[in-house]
Amino acid sequence: MKNEWMYQLTGNLRVRIVGKGLERLLNEFTRRGIYVWNVKREGENSLTCHMLLRDIHHVRGAMRKSGCKLYVLDRRGAPFWLKASWKNSGIVVGVVTFICIVFILSNMIWRIEVTGANPEIEHTVRQQLKKIGVERGALQFVIPAPETIQRTLMNNIDAITWIGVEWRGTTLYCQVVEKKRPTETKSNTPQHLVAKKKAVITYMFVEQGQAVVEVNDHVVPGQLLVSGFIGKEGQTEIVPARGQILGETWYKSTVAVPMKTTFYMLTGKKRETHYVRFWSWKIPIFWDHEEQFSQFEKQVDEKTFRFFTWTLPIVYEKVVWREKEVAVREYSYEQAKAVAKQIAREQLQRQLPADANIQGEKVLHEAKENGKVKVEMHYQVIENIAIPQPIIQGD
Amino acid sequence: MIGKWKNKMRQWLTNQMELPADVVADLPRITMIGHIHIYIENHRGLLLFTDRELRLLLKNGQLLVKGESFTIKTILPEEILLEGKISQVLYLEE
Repeated sequence: MKNEWMYQLTGNLRVRIVGKGLERLLNEFTRRGIYVWNVKREGENSLTCHMLLRDIHHVRGAMRKSGCKLYVLDRRGAPFWLKASWKNSGIVVGVVTFICIVFILSNMIWRIEVTGANPEIEHTVRQQLKKIGVERGALQFVIPAPETIQRTLMNNIDAITWIGVEWRGTTLYCQVVEKKRPTETKSNTPQHLVAKKKAVITYMFVEQGQAVVEVNDHVVPGQLLVSGFIGKEGQTEIVPARGQILGETWYKSTVAVPMKTTFYMLTGKKRETHYVRFWSWKIPIFWDHEEQFSQFEKQVDEKTFRFFTWTLPIVYEKVVWREKEVAVREYSYEQAKAVAKQIAREQLQRQLPADANIQGEKVLHEAKENGKVKVEMHYQVIENIAIPQPIIQGD
Repeated sequence: MIGKWKNKMRQWLTNQMELPADVVADLPRITMIGHIHIYIENHRGLLLFTDRELRLLLKNGQLLVKGESFTIKTILPEEILLEGKISQVLYLEE
């Protein structure tokens, strides 16, 4: 006996045979090796049965003399199924094309929203985005990750302090924080100029107002430098005092530099593996080489795919292992001292306003303790010490 | 005369050597599963097949199967498997 699924594979027919002497015909079939099954009598002169598609030519020969007629009722099996599916292939192609188009459109940028920026900066941001390939119609898995975009924009545009880049569906949101430029206020409200900190005045230029102190005077914080009251006694006038008062100020800073430092350094060797992840199944599709690093820095980049609003469970993952090695840096006492001085200077410069000028430096104290070189520095700085103080007129 | 002698010889062989009768004597072997299946080997052809009756030619005589809603599940030159509700199996001598 043959298996039913074999018939399914090769194709079979359900037929009705009508005529006289059907038993004789069945005997003839078996003699010729035509396999029939599920034979059912329907009436006096007709029966139905199943037969194989490949026997149908032999059936013709067997039936020639019998005077019976054969009608095909049903066709089943792979050959017929293939034929039918070829007929319906238009629909299949259409459905597949539709899914592909929706998939591509779902992974495109449709909108770039820039908030928090004035038109000029917004334009620059958009142009920078375009330069790195982020524009309407770009595919999301081709463009860099939001963090990279963020870094690139922040490095390339001076006018912004910070930019946040975020994906939400097919829209890229850029939240911009502009740099606040100090506004040159020429205030017209009456004011004095007072000292910001303890200093010795080195230079004075008074635009308006009455100078109260002189060059080489020692001032303390809050001390009046330029008065807003001008004119002779009795007929004074109140004006906004303006001017530039430079003073020598002093800063102290202490920096400790270890003489021996251990740190990691990337060797430049790396290993890349690309994965496609279905749910938690990770299938590597491409890799460089098998070399394992004993110490490494691992970086994982993920790209997700969307379909309409759903995120598909298929994730493209790129893992990069960068080899790193331990490096030991050793300073001599003199080197460590020089480094400490440099660090101290840089630290000070960072905290001073741009127009300040470091006049001189002096090592107050230096010591070697616990493998570190500790340096205490003293700096003389020339800077603008005047700040406005409004005159509140009570009377 | 010779045919009779041959039959006797066969019968004797069957008895003496404990061989299955169908192998030696060319008789049909009929297997029934309850009253729903009947499997007949060694038949000589289909004589009649209707919904309620199946008549097979044997070497000696005929076999008549009666019942309801018969379907021939398989038919091969010497084998036949019938499905349905079998009520009688009859031997018809020539």
